[in-house]
Amino acid sequence: MTRLFVDEYPGQARLVRAAFLNSFVALAIGATFGLIQAFHRTDIYRFLPSPDYYTVLTGHGVFLVISFVIFFLVGLFHWAITDSLGQRPSRAWLSWGWYGLMSLGTLIIAASILGGFMEEPPEVLGAPLSADVLFTFYAPLQANPLFYLGLIVFFAGTWLAGADWFRTWLTWKGEHPGKRIPLPAFMVLTTMIMWYLGSIGVIVSLVAFLVPWSFEVIPGVNPLLTRTLFWFFGHMVVYFWVLPAYLLWYNVLPTLSGGRLFSDPLARVVFILFVLLSTPVGIHHQYMDPGIAEGFKFVAMTNTMFLLLPSLLTAFTVVASMEHGARQRGGAGTFGWIRALPWKDPAFTGMALAGAVFAFGGFTGIVNAGMNINYLVHNTLWIPGHIHTQVGTATALSLMAGSYWLVPQLTGNRLVGRRIALFQVVTWFLGIVFMTNAMYRSGLFGVPRRTAEPQYSFEYDVGIGSMGELNAQIALGGTLLFVATVLFLGVMLLTVLNRDSEPLVDGTIPPALSGPEDSPRILDNLKLWAAIAIVLLVLAYALPLASVIQGGGLHGQDIRPYPVVLVDAVQHAGTILGVPIH
Amino acid sequence: MSRSGVARTIDHDEFDPIGTLALVVLYFVVLTVMWLFTYFVEFLGHGPTVVGLLPLG
Repeated sequence: MTRLFVDEYPGQARLVRAAFLNSFVALAIGATFGLIQAFHRTDIYRFLPSPDYYTVLTGHGVFLVISFVIFFLVGLFHWAITDSLGQRPSRAWLSWGWYGLMSLGTLIIAASILGGFMEEPPEVLGAPLSADVLFTFYAPLQANPLFYLGLIVFFAGTWLAGADWFRTWLTWKGEHPGKRIPLPAFMVLTTMIMWYLGSIGVIVSLVAFLVPWSFEVIPGVNPLLTRTLFWFFGHMVVYFWVLPAYLLWYNVLPTLSGGRLFSDPLARVVFILFVLLSTPVGIHHQYMDPGIAEGFKFVAMTNTMFLLLPSLLTAFTVVASMEHGARQRGGAGTFGWIRALPWKDPAFTGMALAGAVFAFGGFTGIVNAGMNINYLVHNTLWIPGHIHTQVGTATALSLMAGSYWLVPQLTGNRLVGRRIALFQVVTWFLGIVFMTNAMYRSGLFGVPRRTAEPQYSFEYDVGIGSMGELNAQIALGGTLLFVATVLFLGVMLLTVLNRDSEPLVDGTIPPALSGPEDSPRILDNLKLWAAIAIVLLVLAYALPLASVIQGGGLHGQDIRPYPVVLVDAVQHAGTILGVPIH
Repeated sequence: MSRSGVARTIDHDEFDPIGTLALVVLYFVVLTVMWLFTYFVEFLGHGPTVVGLLPLG
């Protein structure tokens, strides 16, 4: 039994708990929407009209990848900075300020999305209260202005959070001249540099185009420009979602395994590579956009292939750290050491299974990244399969497993239901294997994504099995994932209420086998890496952006907003196509 | 959730991650088998997979 974070930093623990609370509320809503989608799309059970599917889809995306993951991230990062520097942020108002801004932004966004469920959404700021624009909210789909304003407030909160952590680090640096940045703090700071640089694209899109457009201040937008600015942000953000899981894998997983991190320098190199490479690759999401020249796409593909390197380095370092733990626990043999790992510990098992899913889902990312083969899968269910293995499991399952380790330290309460927690992480793993296996295979056979009506009047000639089997797997997987979410939230609630208890958790993170002293100091030169990242960004994006603006203008040419209050739109489309759509 | 299961201490120079190498090799073998399965079983010899037309008239 070692010191608890809540005893040492009670004020910071309160803030982290508050961020986790927001995160878990968003998880509950997003997971419910996910279950509705799984049954609606497969046409197994429908209780909403199909136009409302897009409200559910938008909510599922935004509540999970914006609210659930990013609130957890800021909570985890606040813990990591405070704990690893041994220094609490000195301005409580600043810390609660970013939390307040992010919460306010989320409430505004939530109101604008949920308004879409009303039969006749009220007029707010001159437009119906609706935002069925999906998580990728570029034009010509248009949301109520509140949706964009909420996002701006939320982003402002995240920028302020980064400023809070940099401020804390600078104070620490002043008091510890010449000391290397502790690894968890290094990870937080580099991730935030990546976030600052990568989110510029979407913030420019919101402030300069989408907000004025939604208020009808400007006559129109160039859809390709808002798409390109979104994807400037859109690939970096997937690393923003995954890096909290990396932080847990590098710092917590080795100690849970009974060992030590294999290499601290390798971990630093990985995070630097993400700063440099995670943003100048966004155009690989636009291989199908005809307005972007093939040459620019080729550059993005090349950058993306380099981006495999940090993930492969991570696979090696994290597995080697687990092996070190297993051998210290008495494990032996080429594969026999795996049995010596603490598989009864839900925190360990959850993270290990998340890592395994990430390894195979990562390979599907290589398929997405290749220009030629991307054309096969781009608009299919393969892509949601990819995001559900990567963000929906590598991140989500790691965060849940990390909660089993961290929440007792934040509350001072013993984790309730360790066996249920173990069952929960395995259930999630099984759910994602069923669901994403079917999604990937459906995608290969051309089943489209982002539609409530994938069947239309088509038949899909499935090589092995049948569409019925694939749909059943999606529904079964979605159900298991929902059950796992309910179990997780139940365990968390009972743990928070379990006040008369002592946690059975060891919060100590032992030093790495190869520490920072084995690496050059230049790795900690954050200004240098930020400067190189800016140069790479300019090289990757200056010409494509100039070309997009030259081709379609800053404000587009007679582009009308798409009707996003979908009361009649889908049925109207059905009438045109002669297909009854319910 | 403690480190009480640790039976011995292995330092940096003593540790040779041969098991990690074995897992990495196994990973690439599984990927290769999956690729072969997808190509030869799911794709090769099959016609178009999306069958039918939207009735537009």
